[in-house]
Amino acid sequence: MLKAASGTFAHVLKRSLIPTARVNAVGVVRNSHGGPVESDEEFDSRYEAFFNRKDIDGWEIRKGMNDLCGMDLVPDPRIIKAAMHACRRVNDYALAIRFIEACKDKCGPKVNEIYPYIIQEIKPTLVELGIETPEELGYDKPELALKNVYEM
Amino acid sequence: MANLLMRRALINAIRVPAGARASSVNTDLAKVGKREWVCYGFNGQPNYVDRPDYPMPAVRFQPETPDIKMLREKEKGDWRKLTMEEKKALYRASFCQTFAEFQAPTGEWKGVTGWALTLASLSVWIYFAMKIFVYSPLPETFDDEHQKAQLKRMLDLKVNPVDGLASKWDYENNRWK
Repeated sequence: MLKAASGTFAHVLKRSLIPTARVNAVGVVRNSHGGPVESDEEFDSRYEAFFNRKDIDGWEIRKGMNDLCGMDLVPDPRIIKAAMHACRRVNDYALAIRFIEACKDKCGPKVNEIYPYIIQEIKPTLVELGIETPEELGYDKPELALKNVYEM
Repeated sequence: MANLLMRRALINAIRVPAGARASSVNTDLAKVGKREWVCYGFNGQPNYVDRPDYPMPAVRFQPETPDIKMLREKEKGDWRKLTMEEKKALYRASFCQTFAEFQAPTGEWKGVTGWALTLASLSVWIYFAMKIFVYSPLPETFDDEHQKAQLKRMLDLKVNPVDGLASKWDYENNRWK
Protein backbone atom coordinates (compact mmCIF):
# COMPACT_ATOMS: atom_id res chain seq x y z
CA MET A 1 0.00 0.00 0.00
CA LEU A 2 2.78 2.33 0.96
CA LYS A 3 4.53 1.64 -2.30
CA ALA A 4 1.41 2.48 -4.25
CA ALA A 5 0.92 5.63 -2.21
CA SER A 6 4.50 6.77 -2.64
CA GLY A 7 4.20 6.13 -6.36
CA THR A 8 1.18 8.40 -6.46
CA PHE A 9 3.00 10.90 -4.30
CA ALA A 10 5.95 11.01 -6.69
CA HIS A 11 3.62 11.37 -9.65
CA VAL A 12 1.66 14.23 -8.12
CA LEU A 13 4.85 15.90 -6.92
CA LYS A 14 6.35 15.66 -10.38
CA ARG A 15 3.24 17.07 -11.96
CA SER A 16 3.10 19.99 -9.56
CA LEU A 17 6.80 20.80 -9.78
CA ILE A 18 7.33 20.56 -13.50
CA PRO A 19 5.16 23.03 -15.36
CA THR A 20 3.58 21.46 -18.41
CA ALA A 21 3.74 24.58 -20.53
CA ARG A 22 7.03 26.38 -20.23
CA VAL A 23 7.37 29.75 -21.89
CA ASN A 24 10.31 29.24 -24.18
CA ALA A 25 10.62 32.97 -24.58
CA VAL A 26 14.24 33.21 -25.52
CA GLY A 27 14.99 29.75 -26.85
CA VAL A 28 17.06 27.04 -25.31
CA VAL A 29 20.54 27.92 -24.09
CA ARG A 30 23.14 25.17 -23.89
CA ASN A 31 25.21 25.95 -20.83
CA SER A 32 28.04 23.46 -21.24
CA HIS A 33 31.52 24.15 -22.50
CA GLY A 34 32.56 23.01 -25.93
CA GLY A 35 29.06 23.61 -27.22
CA PRO A 36 27.99 26.01 -29.93
CA VAL A 37 28.73 29.62 -28.97
CA GLU A 38 26.19 32.24 -29.93
CA SER A 39 27.72 35.24 -31.63
CA ASP A 40 26.74 38.80 -30.64
CA GLU A 41 25.01 39.16 -33.99
CA GLU A 42 22.90 36.05 -33.40
CA PHE A 43 22.07 37.21 -29.88
CA ASP A 44 20.86 40.59 -31.11
CA SER A 45 18.84 38.97 -33.87
CA ARG A 46 17.28 36.50 -31.43
CA TYR A 47 16.09 39.24 -29.11
CA GLU A 48 15.02 41.47 -31.98
CA ALA A 49 12.94 38.62 -33.34
CA PHE A 50 11.55 37.98 -29.87
CA PHE A 51 10.36 41.56 -29.46
CA ASN A 52 9.15 41.66 -33.06
CA ARG A 53 6.75 38.76 -32.53
CA LYS A 54 3.32 39.90 -33.57
CA ASP A 55 1.45 38.13 -30.75
CA ILE A 56 3.81 39.20 -27.96
CA ASP A 57 2.07 40.30 -24.77
CA GLY A 58 3.09 42.60 -21.92
CA TRP A 59 4.15 39.72 -19.70
CA GLU A 60 6.63 38.42 -22.29
CA ILE A 61 7.95 41.89 -23.11
CA ARG A 62 8.69 42.49 -19.43
CA LYS A 63 10.25 39.07 -19.12
CA GLY A 64 12.55 39.78 -22.07
CA MET A 65 13.49 43.19 -20.67
CA ASN A 66 14.16 41.86 -17.18
CA ASP A 67 16.30 39.09 -18.67
CA LEU A 68 18.30 41.59 -20.73
CA CYS A 69 18.84 43.72 -17.64
CA GLY A 70 20.20 40.71 -15.79
CA MET A 71 22.91 40.11 -18.39
CA ASP A 72 26.40 41.54 -18.59
CA LEU A 73 25.70 43.68 -21.63
CA VAL A 74 24.02 46.83 -22.89
CA PRO A 75 21.18 45.95 -25.26
CA ASP A 76 21.91 46.81 -28.86
CA PRO A 77 19.88 49.72 -30.31
CA ARG A 78 18.32 47.16 -32.68
CA ILE A 79 16.87 45.30 -29.71
CA ILE A 80 15.73 48.54 -28.06
CA LYS A 81 13.99 49.65 -31.25
CA ALA A 82 12.17 46.32 -31.52
CA ALA A 83 11.21 46.61 -27.85
CA MET A 84 9.81 50.11 -28.41
CA HIS A 85 7.61 48.78 -31.20
CA ALA A 86 6.54 45.92 -28.97
CA CYS A 87 5.53 48.41 -26.25
CA ARG A 88 3.54 50.28 -28.88
CA ARG A 89 1.72 47.10 -29.88
CA VAL A 90 0.66 46.36 -26.30
CA ASN A 91 -0.11 50.07 -25.68
CA ASP A 92 2.23 50.56 -22.73
CA TYR A 93 3.97 53.92 -22.85
CA ALA A 94 5.44 53.68 -19.35
CA LEU A 95 7.14 50.40 -20.22
CA ALA A 96 8.97 52.02 -23.14
CA ILE A 97 10.30 54.84 -20.95
CA ARG A 98 11.26 52.40 -18.23
CA PHE A 99 13.23 50.25 -20.67
CA ILE A 100 15.20 53.24 -21.99
CA GLU A 101 15.99 54.17 -18.39
CA ALA A 102 17.07 50.59 -17.66
CA CYS A 103 19.33 50.57 -20.74
CA LYS A 104 20.87 53.83 -19.58
CA ASP A 105 21.51 52.24 -16.20
CA LYS A 106 23.14 49.26 -17.93
CA CYS A 107 25.74 51.60 -19.50
CA GLY A 108 27.31 51.87 -16.05
CA PRO A 109 30.39 54.10 -15.83
CA LYS A 110 30.50 54.49 -19.64
CA VAL A 111 27.10 56.14 -19.75
CA ASN A 112 28.54 59.25 -21.39
CA GLU A 113 29.93 57.20 -24.27
CA ILE A 114 27.24 54.58 -24.85
CA TYR A 115 23.99 56.33 -23.96
CA PRO A 116 24.28 59.18 -26.52
CA TYR A 117 24.99 56.53 -29.17
CA ILE A 118 21.89 54.56 -28.17
CA ILE A 119 19.72 57.68 -28.24
CA GLN A 120 21.16 58.69 -31.60
CA GLU A 121 20.36 55.25 -33.03
CA ILE A 122 16.83 54.90 -31.62
CA LYS A 123 15.81 58.56 -32.05
CA PRO A 124 13.95 57.99 -35.37
CA THR A 125 11.90 55.22 -33.75
CA LEU A 126 11.14 57.38 -30.71
CA VAL A 127 9.99 60.25 -32.94
CA GLU A 128 7.92 57.88 -35.07
CA LEU A 129 6.11 56.40 -32.06
CA GLY A 130 5.91 59.61 -30.05
CA ILE A 131 8.08 58.40 -27.19
CA GLU A 132 10.08 60.94 -25.21
CA THR A 133 13.53 60.16 -23.89
CA PRO A 134 13.71 60.08 -20.07
CA GLU A 135 15.65 63.37 -20.30
CA GLU A 136 12.79 65.05 -22.16
CA LEU A 137 10.41 63.91 -19.43
CA GLY A 138 12.81 65.22 -16.80
CA TYR A 139 13.51 61.74 -15.47
CA ASP A 140 17.30 62.08 -15.64
CA LYS A 141 17.09 63.86 -12.29
CA PRO A 142 14.92 62.89 -9.31
CA GLU A 143 11.50 64.47 -9.79
CA LEU A 144 9.47 63.47 -6.73
CA ALA A 145 10.48 62.46 -3.24
CA LEU A 146 8.97 59.45 -1.49
CA LYS A 147 7.19 59.90 1.78
CA ASN A 148 8.71 57.88 4.57
CA VAL A 149 6.53 54.81 5.10
CA TYR A 150 6.90 55.19 8.88
CA GLU A 151 5.36 58.65 8.76
CA MET A 152 2.26 57.82 6.72
CA MET B 1 -10.21 0.50 0.59
CA ALA B 2 -7.53 1.84 2.89
CA ASN B 3 -5.29 2.11 -0.14
CA LEU B 4 -7.82 4.27 -1.92
CA LEU B 5 -8.40 6.48 1.12
CA MET B 6 -4.67 6.91 1.57
CA ARG B 7 -4.24 7.96 -2.02
CA ARG B 8 -7.10 10.40 -1.86
CA ALA B 9 -5.76 11.94 1.35
CA LEU B 10 -2.30 12.29 -0.18
CA ILE B 11 -3.62 13.90 -3.32
CA ASN B 12 -5.72 16.31 -1.30
CA ALA B 13 -2.74 17.18 0.85
CA ILE B 14 -0.55 17.94 -2.13
CA ARG B 15 -2.95 19.47 -4.60
CA VAL B 16 -3.15 23.25 -4.54
CA PRO B 17 -5.67 25.23 -6.52
CA ALA B 18 -4.33 26.76 -9.73
CA GLY B 19 -3.02 30.28 -9.27
CA ALA B 20 -2.47 29.80 -5.54
CA ARG B 21 0.70 27.75 -5.27
CA ALA B 22 1.64 29.09 -1.89
CA SER B 23 -0.29 30.82 0.83
CA SER B 24 2.02 33.83 0.59
CA VAL B 25 0.61 34.46 -2.88
CA ASN B 26 -2.85 34.84 -1.38
CA THR B 27 -1.71 37.35 1.21
CA ASP B 28 0.24 39.23 -1.46
CA LEU B 29 -2.78 39.19 -3.73
CA ALA B 30 -4.85 40.69 -0.93
CA LYS B 31 -2.32 43.49 -0.58
CA VAL B 32 -2.14 44.04 -4.33
CA GLY B 33 -5.85 44.74 -4.45
CA LYS B 34 -6.92 46.14 -7.80
CA ARG B 35 -3.42 46.52 -9.18
CA GLU B 36 -2.80 44.71 -12.43
CA TRP B 37 -0.40 41.74 -12.22
CA VAL B 38 1.67 42.25 -15.34
CA CYS B 39 4.94 40.41 -15.00
CA TYR B 40 6.81 37.55 -13.39
CA GLY B 41 8.88 40.07 -11.45
CA PHE B 42 11.94 38.91 -9.56
CA ASN B 43 10.47 35.98 -7.62
CA GLY B 44 7.10 35.20 -9.16
CA GLN B 45 5.12 36.89 -6.39
CA PRO B 46 2.78 39.81 -7.04
CA ASN B 47 4.95 42.43 -5.41
CA TYR B 48 6.42 45.81 -6.31
CA VAL B 49 10.08 46.76 -5.83
CA ASP B 50 12.10 49.29 -7.82
CA ARG B 51 15.22 47.35 -8.68
CA PRO B 52 17.78 48.17 -11.37
CA ASP B 53 18.44 44.49 -12.04
CA TYR B 54 14.71 43.72 -12.44
CA PRO B 55 13.38 47.07 -13.69
CA MET B 56 9.90 45.70 -14.48
CA PRO B 57 8.12 44.78 -11.22
CA ALA B 58 5.38 42.19 -11.08
CA VAL B 59 2.47 44.57 -10.51
CA ARG B 60 1.65 48.07 -11.63
CA PHE B 61 2.26 50.54 -8.84
CA GLN B 62 -1.18 52.13 -8.82
CA PRO B 63 -4.58 50.44 -8.76
CA GLU B 64 -6.87 50.81 -11.74
CA THR B 65 -8.83 53.93 -10.91
CA PRO B 66 -11.34 55.38 -13.40
CA ASP B 67 -8.86 58.18 -14.20
CA ILE B 68 -6.18 55.73 -15.13
CA LYS B 69 -8.60 53.60 -17.12
CA MET B 70 -9.47 56.67 -19.17
CA LEU B 71 -5.78 57.35 -19.69
CA ARG B 72 -5.24 53.75 -20.79
CA GLU B 73 -7.95 54.15 -23.41
CA LYS B 74 -6.23 57.29 -24.66
CA GLU B 75 -2.90 55.44 -24.61
CA LYS B 76 -4.24 53.07 -27.25
CA GLY B 77 -4.28 55.97 -29.70
CA ASP B 78 -1.39 57.98 -31.08
CA TRP B 79 1.22 58.60 -28.38
CA ARG B 80 2.22 61.87 -30.02
CA LYS B 81 -1.17 63.27 -29.01
CA LEU B 82 -0.62 62.58 -25.31
CA THR B 83 0.42 65.57 -23.23
CA MET B 84 3.49 65.56 -21.03
CA GLU B 85 1.31 65.36 -17.90
CA GLU B 86 -0.55 62.35 -19.26
CA LYS B 87 2.69 60.61 -20.10
CA LYS B 88 4.03 61.25 -16.62
CA ALA B 89 0.76 60.08 -15.10
CA LEU B 90 1.00 56.87 -17.14
CA TYR B 91 4.55 56.33 -15.93
CA ARG B 92 3.58 56.87 -12.32
CA ALA B 93 0.62 54.53 -12.72
CA SER B 94 2.98 51.72 -13.66
CA PHE B 95 6.03 52.61 -11.61
CA CYS B 96 6.69 54.20 -8.25
CA GLN B 97 10.04 55.82 -8.76
CA THR B 98 12.21 56.59 -11.79
CA PHE B 99 15.74 55.22 -11.95
CA ALA B 100 17.12 58.65 -11.06
CA GLU B 101 14.89 58.73 -7.99
CA PHE B 102 15.53 55.32 -6.52
CA GLN B 103 19.24 55.60 -7.22
CA ALA B 104 19.52 59.08 -5.75
CA PRO B 105 21.81 59.30 -2.72
CA THR B 106 19.81 59.31 0.49
CA GLY B 107 22.50 60.84 2.67
CA GLU B 108 21.99 58.00 5.12
CA TRP B 109 25.75 57.34 5.20
CA LYS B 110 26.25 60.56 7.12
CA GLY B 111 24.16 59.42 10.04
CA VAL B 112 25.68 55.95 9.95
CA THR B 113 29.24 57.30 9.92
CA GLY B 114 28.38 59.78 12.67
CA TRP B 115 26.99 57.14 14.97
CA ALA B 116 29.83 54.74 14.22
CA LEU B 117 32.44 57.36 15.12
CA THR B 118 30.48 58.40 18.22
CA LEU B 119 30.37 54.84 19.51
CA ALA B 120 34.03 54.30 18.64
CA SER B 121 35.03 57.42 20.58
CA LEU B 122 32.93 56.19 23.49
CA SER B 123 35.39 53.32 23.82
CA VAL B 124 38.16 55.84 24.54
CA TRP B 125 36.18 57.18 27.50
CA ILE B 126 35.53 53.64 28.68
CA TYR B 127 39.29 53.05 28.55
CA PHE B 128 40.01 56.08 30.71
CA ALA B 129 37.26 55.13 33.14
CA MET B 130 38.82 51.67 33.43
CA LYS B 131 42.21 53.23 34.08
CA ILE B 132 40.86 55.43 36.84
CA PHE B 133 38.28 53.27 38.57
CA VAL B 134 39.05 49.63 37.81
CA TYR B 135 42.69 48.80 37.23
CA SER B 136 45.32 48.99 39.95
CA PRO B 137 48.34 51.22 39.12
CA LEU B 138 51.14 49.80 36.97
CA PRO B 139 53.81 47.77 38.84
CA GLU B 140 56.88 49.68 40.00
CA THR B 141 59.06 47.69 37.60
CA PHE B 142 57.59 49.83 34.82
CA ASP B 143 59.47 52.98 35.89
CA ASP B 144 62.65 54.16 34.25
CA GLU B 145 65.04 53.09 37.00
CA HIS B 146 63.82 49.50 37.05
CA GLN B 147 63.85 49.27 33.24
CA LYS B 148 67.47 50.44 33.16
CA ALA B 149 68.43 47.98 35.87
CA GLN B 150 66.83 45.19 33.89
CA LEU B 151 68.73 46.17 30.75
CA LYS B 152 71.98 46.23 32.74
CA ARG B 153 71.25 42.76 34.08
CA MET B 154 70.53 41.46 30.57
CA LEU B 155 73.84 42.83 29.35
CA ASP B 156 75.63 41.24 32.31
CA LEU B 157 74.06 37.91 31.42
CA LYS B 158 75.11 38.40 27.78
CA VAL B 159 71.62 37.76 26.50
CA ASN B 160 71.59 36.76 22.82
CA PRO B 161 75.24 37.39 22.05
CA VAL B 162 75.26 36.34 18.36
CA ASP B 163 72.83 38.71 16.71
CA GLY B 164 70.73 40.10 19.58
CA LEU B 165 71.07 42.52 22.45
CA ALA B 166 74.54 41.55 23.76
CA SER B 167 76.03 41.46 20.25
CA LYS B 168 75.38 45.21 20.03
CA TRP B 169 77.17 46.04 23.30
CA ASP B 170 80.88 46.73 23.29
CA TYR B 171 82.06 45.01 26.53
CA GLU B 172 85.63 46.35 26.29
CA ASN B 173 84.69 50.01 26.10
CA ASN B 174 81.36 49.69 27.94
CA ARG B 175 79.25 51.38 25.30
CA TRP B 176 76.95 50.49 22.40
CA LYS B 177 78.75 49.41 19.29
